[in-house]
Amino acid sequence: MRPLFFIAIACVAGLASGVPLLAHHSGAAEFDRTKKIDLTGVVTRVEWTNPHAHFYMDVKDASGSASNWNLELASPNVLLRNGWKRSSLKPGDTVTVTGIQAKDSSHYASAGVITFPDGHKLTFLSADDPSK
Amino acid sequence: MSKRVAAGVVSSALLAAFSLLAQQGAATSGQNDSKGKIGSIGLYQNQRLPPDGPAPKFADGTPDLSGVWLGGGSNSTDISNPKSLKPGDQVIMLPWAEEVVKHRLSKQDPEANCLPAGIPRGSPYPWRIVQTPTHYFILYEGNIHSYRQIFMNGKHPDDPDPTWYGHSIGHWEGNTLVVDTVGFNDKFWFDYKGHPHTEKLHTIERYTRTDFGHMAIEVTIDDPGTYVKPFTTIGKATLMPGAELMEYICQENNQDLPLLQGPARGPGEQ
Repeated sequence: MRPLFFIAIACVAGLASGVPLLAHHSGAAEFDRTKKIDLTGVVTRVEWTNPHAHFYMDVKDASGSASNWNLELASPNVLLRNGWKRSSLKPGDTVTVTGIQAKDSSHYASAGVITFPDGHKLTFLSADDPSK
Repeated sequence: MSKRVAAGVVSSALLAAFSLLAQQGAATSGQNDSKGKIGSIGLYQNQRLPPDGPAPKFADGTPDLSGVWLGGGSNSTDISNPKSLKPGDQVIMLPWAEEVVKHRLSKQDPEANCLPAGIPRGSPYPWRIVQTPTHYFILYEGNIHSYRQIFMNGKHPDDPDPTWYGHSIGHWEGNTLVVDTVGFNDKFWFDYKGHPHTEKLHTIERYTRTDFGHMAIEVTIDDPGTYVKPFTTIGKATLMPGAELMEYICQENNQDLPLLQGPARGPGEQ
């Protein structure tokens, strides 16, 4: 098999940790690969903008108090070409997000895999069709 | 080496490789559909792959470079990566430049500040060449959604005003478009690592459409103010037959700057 095939597969496998490398900046300067996040919450806002789309979600901790997280996505240009629609993620959606946190440990992270309650997923490389 | 460090090293290497894959616009093939093969081109999945066939020409014999292209720029992580240079070429900096690179911070990268990436820094976003009788334009979707103009068979001014993209003149050598550019300012970085240049920079780009779906791009960087000798970056762009350029206004919601910490470095590095 062609070497590029293995690289592509390996990188899809690495998606769970968030892949902030499509960037106009160095992802390694912004995110800490060892600070993995796994959050479940309700989307409060989506910013369909460049250089990154963002979505915000309210996440409740064990004691029930909520914090609002800012999740960074790829550019809409990448997401749209990879099957997303503007409606793929909406305020009010409950989702689970894995990714990696910003180095400054704020409530800011790079989103890797977004999973919906029915099991369909979004990544920067793919968007499951929720009707299937 | 502990497992965690090893995993970090492996994933960094994979991500760096993926970054290279993405910016070179490499295509990997998948299944067929009625219009031809479908596969990924760089980061973009389920794209119509370019058909086989010879590079097209206009009626007057001039090579036709039209289409939406991906990749072909220099290594945006580190322009001195030998895999992205002509074999045997090296990037050897003068002492002042080595000092500068050591102290540059990631947040200072003009590209991170939505300023031009200059020539020839690779990008994961597509681009077009538009050919008119007197001017060629390269339209870039990414970075700052900008364009360059090439004055065909033109002449450089004696004292060009230093600009981000310089003053470009072009001519054909057989099937290769040669673009000669001077008059750069010293502001853009060649890569995430922060390789610098001076206003003495002179670039020579060579674009050759090797077949219908591919373009070989070589860029010679000659800056005696920074580098001991010239070096040439090599890249290959892939046609995206199903694509159009999209808008990309970097300045509209750039939230990263306060979060960028530490020295200038590539995406996969820790």
